[in-house]
Amino acid sequence: MADSKIAPPVVEAPRRSALHGLLSLIVPGLGQFVAGARTRGLTLLVTVLTLFGLSMWTIAQRARFPEYAVVTGDYLRIVLACAALLVFLLALRHLLTRFVLKDPLAETFSLYGVVLLFFVLVMFVGDDILATVLSAESLSHIHGMTGLYSGAALAALWLWQVGDAARIGGEHLTGKRTPSMGGAIVIACLLVFALGYNLTGVNLPKAIREYQDVGILLPRILWPWRAAFAYDQEVFEVVQKIQAPCPDGATGPGSNPVLANDPWVSATPTCGDLSVRPTTGGLILGTELTITAGNFVPGQEVLIRWANPIGNPFTPRGMGETTLIIDENGGFTTTLNIPDAVVSPETASGDQIHSLIVRQESVRVFGNRLSNEMNLALIGLLETIMIGLMATFFGIVAAFPLSFLAAKNLMSPIMGTPERILGNVLGVLAGGWLGIQVTDFASASLGGLEAAPVQVFLIGMLAVLGLGIAGLQLGGRLSEAALTRLGKDGGYWVSSGVLALLAAYPGYILGLGFSRGIRSIVLGAEVAAINEEWYGALGAVLVAVLVFWYLYGKRHTRRVPVGLMLYGVVRTIFNVVRSVEALIYAIIAAIWVGLGPFAGTLALTLHTIASLAKLYSEAIESIDPGPLEALDAVGANRLQTIVYAVVPQILPPVISFTVYRWDINVRMSTLLGFVGGGGIGFILLQWIRLYQYEAVGIAVWLIAITVAALDYVSSEIRERFV
Amino acid sequence: MLTVEHLTMVYPDGTVALKDVSFEVKEGEFLGVIGLSGSGKSTLLRCINRLLEPTEGRILWNDKDITHLPQGELRTVRREIGMVFQQFNLVKRSSVLTNVLSGRLGYTPPSWALANRFSRQDRELAFQALQRVGIPDKAHNRADELSGGQQQRVGIARALMQDPKMILADEPVASLDPVLAHSILGYLEKLNTEDNITVLCSLHYLDLVQRYCERVIGLRNGRIVFEGSKEDIAKMSDERFREIYGEDAIRMGGA
Repeated sequence: MADSKIAPPVVEAPRRSALHGLLSLIVPGLGQFVAGARTRGLTLLVTVLTLFGLSMWTIAQRARFPEYAVVTGDYLRIVLACAALLVFLLALRHLLTRFVLKDPLAETFSLYGVVLLFFVLVMFVGDDILATVLSAESLSHIHGMTGLYSGAALAALWLWQVGDAARIGGEHLTGKRTPSMGGAIVIACLLVFALGYNLTGVNLPKAIREYQDVGILLPRILWPWRAAFAYDQEVFEVVQKIQAPCPDGATGPGSNPVLANDPWVSATPTCGDLSVRPTTGGLILGTELTITAGNFVPGQEVLIRWANPIGNPFTPRGMGETTLIIDENGGFTTTLNIPDAVVSPETASGDQIHSLIVRQESVRVFGNRLSNEMNLALIGLLETIMIGLMATFFGIVAAFPLSFLAAKNLMSPIMGTPERILGNVLGVLAGGWLGIQVTDFASASLGGLEAAPVQVFLIGMLAVLGLGIAGLQLGGRLSEAALTRLGKDGGYWVSSGVLALLAAYPGYILGLGFSRGIRSIVLGAEVAAINEEWYGALGAVLVAVLVFWYLYGKRHTRRVPVGLMLYGVVRTIFNVVRSVEALIYAIIAAIWVGLGPFAGTLALTLHTIASLAKLYSEAIESIDPGPLEALDAVGANRLQTIVYAVVPQILPPVISFTVYRWDINVRMSTLLGFVGGGGIGFILLQWIRLYQYEAVGIAVWLIAITVAALDYVSSEIRERFV
Repeated sequence: MLTVEHLTMVYPDGTVALKDVSFEVKEGEFLGVIGLSGSGKSTLLRCINRLLEPTEGRILWNDKDITHLPQGELRTVRREIGMVFQQFNLVKRSSVLTNVLSGRLGYTPPSWALANRFSRQDRELAFQALQRVGIPDKAHNRADELSGGQQQRVGIARALMQDPKMILADEPVASLDPVLAHSILGYLEKLNTEDNITVLCSLHYLDLVQRYCERVIGLRNGRIVFEGSKEDIAKMSDERFREIYGEDAIRMGGA
């Protein structure tokens, strides 16, 4: 099917092999395999099977009813129907070009054209094909369109590889270049697209018809600024006490006096009966109160409310007007029946005093202040920027020295002899141990970690690193000096042996890990634990032998590429750490140090270290090697070479990467709050869940402004340095 | 002063860059190394101060075998051997002064590098070195602001800072025009005669070899195919010339 322009003859019979085609028709790729194109045959087989399985599985997953999950028969029918359509089209083309157009090179209609026509046809008559091959029941229960498109693509792929096998078999392949697989790749992509369309749940009708749903919230998010400011409002509330029910002889709390300047309300009588709603239905109105009020703001609304003896306010319905406009004198007169039983007369004891409330809220006036939401958003934003800043700062401090370990051009020349490596390893261990002791001592003399956390941390870092490096150097020299006394070979073999023995310990851990991690999956933890020691021992022996064998192989040159080994380890760690999103780290950090900005900083720092170290090390790898060579020739040692030849060269890209990373960090930290990492995301998520879309809008605007500003600033800075 | 014995260098990819090369350099000599590019000149020079590790053979520096010297001791040998490069190999973003001072790194304690510290004496020396190569006014310019000829002079000043007994010059003028080439080689000649610094210089052009070198070795495909004085070069027949430079070579310049 996928004829290229160079090898188009379709009608020349001797160049095709029906046998190979037939083989591939039965088992995809078999014809190619038999014809000698082994890899191609296997690739095709795997591709067809994978796509078939994937399609089946997808359709089954999306079946509308679980009992229709297995639809192999239905799917096969679709594939066959599509294949029949395609074969029909191909035959039509063949007849057309051969007998009508007399075009043996088949240039009039390319096979791509036929396939395109096939897919267009499938698109338009798809429903009919489905209706023909599927039962009405199947049709109503499985997602037919996905089956149709993937089935059509699968049919095309199947037929393509039949044609391909026929051609490869016919040409005997020897000395000829294999035809392109472009057709197969295009068809496979179509198939994957069809499945993806289904799996991602693309729903065009919904997208087109239901756009109005966002119409309510979009304006509030897009222009939330009214919610960014506080508004002032005056509220007057006056109360008249009413006693109800009114026992014999009671007089009630008495009417309020008329006040000269302040708003007032007064009612008569102040003692009466409650309205009653009998269980038989209807309503018996309570005592009618005449209410007069004065000194409110004229022309504005007042609300009449009622509060029962235990203070629950409500608006009495059906008892009289509850919303009134104040007249020009600032008062009103109205009547209201005492509302229905709020307090059961049987259970309540003593006088039941209710409150009649008259409430007036003045018009909201712009208050020249920021609203609570705005304040919260601003604080959150500041926190966000600081999280980004701190993570970048800690990231630089850790990543810069580490990046040298991940730079191939600096690490690959570092070679070590087993004598030296042995000393280095022992020295580092001793130095590190000593560093921890020093830290413990310092911590104790400073009054514990809680009393002086920063000091103890700094002393700890300095002590462990410094003593570790000192141990590395000193150990290497000492062991080299000591072992050369054993003669030319003695030192080599002794140190190799000891190194192998040292390596047995990590080997033991690996073996134990294998037992606990992998064996216990099958056997269960308790059973696996019985003889896990054996696996540890096996691991120890294996690793020790491997290390010794490796060193044995190096006995002639006596140079072990320690630099490259270290490079590989460091690079791998960075790649693994970097490949997990900071959001995931934030979830873990929130559990580790609790919700809040510190968790976000911690998570972002971890990710930043790995990313920056990789960027820095790539900057180091791309420097001009000339100055390195020159400084080597001068007799400079490694540290001097780094300071005088590497650092000046990497400074511009390092500054640029750092600023860029800061930019990224601020952007990332806006989201960290979603998982408890502090910053503006924390409050943003709350507002989203409370449907406070105006507050959401404020936060989104602030984030957008900050990120845009930062983007501009960072690109300006980067331009200056590159 | 320097003896090279049966030096063979095979790169990890299997390329044989040098094959059984032996020669001797006497103190105060100006020795030229000629040959086509790819003939092994650069490899030879880099093997001498062990920027490259030779596969076989020995290198004797003042009768001491330095072929397998460990890094620490190698430093003391390297600082006695200055090196000048075709591409100058300056740190382009650093100042001329820093570049020259970096020639002193073989003598300064490594930990000083963290504080970017050089002694007052070293700074004085650096200015003197720049004075000698004629660009004292450029000390505070960035290295990439200088012209090619000036950059190579900085390279020589850097080598001078090492107080070298010998200078290895790897095609020092191949990136420069002929006028500058004479100026640069003039500085090397001056160092050779005035300071009695031995110079081992690889060159492309025979006229430059004749003008500056006392003695010449010719390399072809990693082997020494010619050894003689500059008079020998003047008398050299075309056949002999082709032996060094290959069949297609044409004689050019004043040779």
